[in-house]
Amino acid sequence: MAVNLDEIKPDLTIDCKGLSCPMPLLKTKKAIQQLQSGQILEVLGTDPGSKNDIPGWCERAGHEFLGVKEDQGFMRFYVRKG
Amino acid sequence: MSVFKEKAGSVFRSLCVENWSPLMGGIVIAFFVILLEAWYRPWGIVGGLRNWGDWVFYLLGLYEDQPPHPLWFSSSVLNIGFLWGAFLSATLAREFSFRVPPGIEFVKAIVSGILMGIGSALAMGCNIGGMYMAINNLAANGLLMWIGLVIGVRFAVKYLYWEIEHLPAGGGFEINLSKINPLLALIAIVGLFLATRAYFGSEHDNGAILGGCLILTAGIGYAMHRSRLCIVNALREPFMSGEAAMARAVIVSLLLTTIGIAVLKAAGIRDEMAYVTPTFGLGALLGGIIFGFGMTVAGGCGSGSLWRVAEGQLKLWVVAIFFGLSNSLVRHLFSVYEIIYVNDEGELVSKWLGKSVFMPDYLGYAGTILLVAVFLLIWRILVDWNEETNRLVLEL
Repeated sequence: MAVNLDEIKPDLTIDCKGLSCPMPLLKTKKAIQQLQSGQILEVLGTDPGSKNDIPGWCERAGHEFLGVKEDQGFMRFYVRKG
Repeated sequence: MSVFKEKAGSVFRSLCVENWSPLMGGIVIAFFVILLEAWYRPWGIVGGLRNWGDWVFYLLGLYEDQPPHPLWFSSSVLNIGFLWGAFLSATLAREFSFRVPPGIEFVKAIVSGILMGIGSALAMGCNIGGMYMAINNLAANGLLMWIGLVIGVRFAVKYLYWEIEHLPAGGGFEINLSKINPLLALIAIVGLFLATRAYFGSEHDNGAILGGCLILTAGIGYAMHRSRLCIVNALREPFMSGEAAMARAVIVSLLLTTIGIAVLKAAGIRDEMAYVTPTFGLGALLGGIIFGFGMTVAGGCGSGSLWRVAEGQLKLWVVAIFFGLSNSLVRHLFSVYEIIYVNDEGELVSKWLGKSVFMPDYLGYAGTILLVAVFLLIWRILVDWNEETNRLVLEL
């Protein structure tokens, strides 16, 4: 089922802007521990590497990568906890 | 839109915008690395950074001897080409922007840069010159540094876990330059063409040689950025997530370059002792541990830091600066106190760091290639096994 990224209401948002590898992914892993299954994490980031790292990790760790949205000078990544 | 135009667009996207797989990157890099060694010399990173650091301390009046000119010194030209290629890749994909991290990242950058300088001085090379290029130049110190790196990386992952619990940080930002990236890319392409032509056309003895070094390392930098090939990632992820795609790519790249460079050395095209340093001992092992810790906290090794410099990650700018400065200082002290010196036979030796061991002297060329292949095979099986079982993964 396609998710409309503009209508997502995240349960938790973390700020990884300006950070480089591996900190965005580490913070994402840490933050998802605070959520219940089915809740949504929003990650704000600027590292081009996150476009590979976050979806790749979701697949391995059993979470659902909902997509990435460009904002003004950063990206918003959405992950639903598995 | 005509089919031709549509296909031209999709070819451009797959070569210049989308990420290449790590494996594709590893293979393309191996191709350029072998060509560079055939053309003139082995690839390296820290020698060029040290040259720039030497200039800083020379201009400050700390060193007496004037270092070689950065535009006419091959180690430095290798880095210029590498940065240029990575910058071209970043701008073509509109990925060049200044990323300003939170303050704590700058502190980590200074400390890890200094550690990388010290580690690479002890090992007489970073993870490229001391490990990747040492293994494929059939030097035993490369294998020893690999062991050191793995130990250092494992400690650093523990540290990063501690940091994430105790030192939360936010507030970084980006100065977005994606709009002017196509213009920067155009300048980079034209500039690279003109600079290479200037080297080949110059009267200088080494002009053509350095022109080749510039364009070949631009190829390495381009492929490395496009595939985001990262040796820190290859060594770290088995401890952090179990992911092994990057490790597999580095393993293939090492196998190809080992065979290629063995051919060059056995055929007498390159000096057998090229990149065999007197560090098979404490130097490669301890240097590897210190460098491995530093590069993991930095978030980029010798090469990985530089391609991140070229996409505007300011943390890695600080890392590269302190890496070059500290390596320059430590190597300066090593020569003042004769930790490394040239003996009566004209060989570089060290009492403390270790011996120069060119493996084919002991095992022959076939035996050495076999040894490296077995080492790579075991590494590959280990990371694949760990990817399935997560046995080496440290829990957050």
